[in-house]
Amino acid sequence: MLEHLTGAPLFYDYLGWAVLLLAAFNAAQIIYLLWNKARVERAERRKDALRRLTVTAVMTSPTPADLLAPPAGEEEYEACSEAIAGILENFEGEIAERALGLLERFGVSGHYRAMARGGRWYRRANAVDMLSVFRLEENRGSLLELFKKERVASVRYRILRALSLIARGHDDITTLACLLSELPYLTPKYTEDLFYNAVTALKAKGREEEFGLFMRRIMRDDRVLTLVKRDCLTACRAAACEKAGELFRDYYAAYPEEPEILAACVKALARKGDFSLLPDALRHPHWLVRLAALKNAHLCREGPAGEIAALLSDHNYHIRLNAALALARSGERGRAALRAAAASGDRFASDSASYALEQETA
Amino acid sequence: MAKILIIDDDETVRIVYRTYLARAGHTVDSAKDGVEGLDKTAAFAPDLILVDINMPRLSGFEVVKQLKEDPSTKDIPVFIITSLKQEHHVKRAAAMGAAGYITKPTRAPELAAIINKALKLPDQPRA
Repeated sequence: MLEHLTGAPLFYDYLGWAVLLLAAFNAAQIIYLLWNKARVERAERRKDALRRLTVTAVMTSPTPADLLAPPAGEEEYEACSEAIAGILENFEGEIAERALGLLERFGVSGHYRAMARGGRWYRRANAVDMLSVFRLEENRGSLLELFKKERVASVRYRILRALSLIARGHDDITTLACLLSELPYLTPKYTEDLFYNAVTALKAKGREEEFGLFMRRIMRDDRVLTLVKRDCLTACRAAACEKAGELFRDYYAAYPEEPEILAACVKALARKGDFSLLPDALRHPHWLVRLAALKNAHLCREGPAGEIAALLSDHNYHIRLNAALALARSGERGRAALRAAAASGDRFASDSASYALEQETA
Repeated sequence: MAKILIIDDDETVRIVYRTYLARAGHTVDSAKDGVEGLDKTAAFAPDLILVDINMPRLSGFEVVKQLKEDPSTKDIPVFIITSLKQEHHVKRAAAMGAAGYITKPTRAPELAAIINKALKLPDQPRA
């Protein structure tokens, strides 16, 4: 077969042509790649220059729109919005107000609202990301409408994040908490971030009490998942809500069977310097609550060393270990309890105490 | 007025501070990462440095550490300007010898006031 093929009179002519064709195709491909690279680099340079021009205009004129041509194409919108987003993320006051004025004058927000209704999910996701940076209240309606229509999960997560950044009252946060249950899965970090954004947005507007109102409203609301409530409490602690002490105590009393909520309350109160729940939490039947109390016991100057020492014989390994570490960090009284436990006949208590003493020496 | 060096990987931040502080009468130079920042510190000899934390090549903490270890730069006040608000970052910056820790978003006039106070300069009228 092969001999028949190679024996054909024009075989080598055809082969030569095929090799030449392949070489020409490869050369064309390389030329196209080089041309495309140069084109992309040129576009990036142009975008950088436009971005620089926009920032400089914002810095040099109270009405920067007068110094700039309105964006015409996608590239120009990108440059303008990235410059404004950079300013809004890093600055506030007069500079941020000028940037917002430019945003309004050039209709950048409207452009991204339209883009967020487009057909390609990644363009919709980019548009929502950009809208979230602008933090404009006027976008709330369209974001809620988008959330109802959107089917791609990654865009839906982004929409909720954008909504969290423009929360202005307890109704907005309640809506956010209810919409969360429509998502396919939740991670504690994501939920906490959302509510942290909401608290900080309210604090920036001097309306921190709105978050407290929201927390009281959802305390008995079954539509909001218990884990979401836990993440709200954690967000409250992370955002250093000043008036939340009573709220944490009320949640602690309202959820005696929910260890996640109890642990979040103990931790949040301890970080505020309130150790009133520590003795009760150290005796709680659920190990997560005892662990939360132990991990924060060292913050209390006059810690309940006796109750912590009793936990050196706990049936749970994590509790024994953290009880020992808490004692090691609570001064001479704690170290004396550790030395006594290390010399005792209780092997579990002795092992944990010896480990903590070794760690301290190291 | 003073010589101020800005070390930040975000070009927007560099342009804004540069423009604002130059308008306030300072001589300003900027660097886009920690390594360039250390080089420019040697060449520009600034009176005050503003540095971000999260940067490529060398972080802001590392820049502060190296500046404070060098006898020729240890007395330059270094202010950290960052969006990281966690307490442990603030404590770490103070332990390393940073003169101040400013969190973003910032207000340019307030920053100018902080700089003037650090350099014992009279406050300028708002530009």
